[in-house]
Amino acid sequence: VIELLAITEAGAAPAPPVVALSSDGVSILCIPARDAEPDADALWRHEELLESLMDAGPLLPVRYGTRVSDEAAAVAAVAGREAALAARLEHVRGAVELALRVRSEEEAAPAIADSGAAYLRARTARSRLADSVHEALAPLARDSRLRVGAEPLRAAYLVAREDVDGFVARVRELQTEHPELTIVCTGPWPPYSFSEAAA
Amino acid sequence: VSALSAEREVALVDLLDRLLGGGVVIAGDITLSVADVDLVHVSLRALISSVGSLEPPPRP
Repeated sequence: VIELLAITEAGAAPAPPVVALSSDGVSILCIPARDAEPDADALWRHEELLESLMDAGPLLPVRYGTRVSDEAAAVAAVAGREAALAARLEHVRGAVELALRVRSEEEAAPAIADSGAAYLRARTARSRLADSVHEALAPLARDSRLRVGAEPLRAAYLVAREDVDGFVARVRELQTEHPELTIVCTGPWPPYSFSEAAA
Repeated sequence: VSALSAEREVALVDLLDRLLGGGVVIAGDITLSVADVDLVHVSLRALISSVGSLEPPPRP
């Protein structure tokens, strides 16, 4: 049983134990399936492995935990999708993913509103503020994805490596402009959120 | 990742988001059993709740 790690360009030559399988213009990076408990350390080791593979060229992470019986099954699993995957590789070339979450003080503490209408107004104001954060950052990114969640904003940005410093500087400015928000930005990550075309 | 994140524990939320919700979805011969999936989900829920109990990152 092997675990699929990522899709990358043809001709990849990763260091063992990672193996590259060739399939019509793309490489599938695999590793013998690991039986480690999925605790935090195992997840970080997986992340570090992907980050090291990312140094060699653009890659698309495969959904965590994807396993197939053997190498032939791995090649069969991507059969017919090579052209679409190659196009996604071009989309993420030279870029990294930055994660952004916006939390608000009201979210952290139980909301005390004297009426339902006041509660809704406060919630709408937070949501507008979060939207303005996204609108300020989106032009600095090649692509972005918004996730629905409890927070006013949970987003992913695909940012060219040379633009990362500018993006982070803008995040710092936004944090200074909006002390009522807590903006958490992490990365750079492999492009987990940009491996598939937008729905 | 360490270059930008204040705390690895804070970043764990984002890592979980990405590992579970991101990546190329390979349809086909996936042998991750239902039991394994349950195990992963239970463990990750435990991780998420431990992350939630952490202090928020310091304000700049």
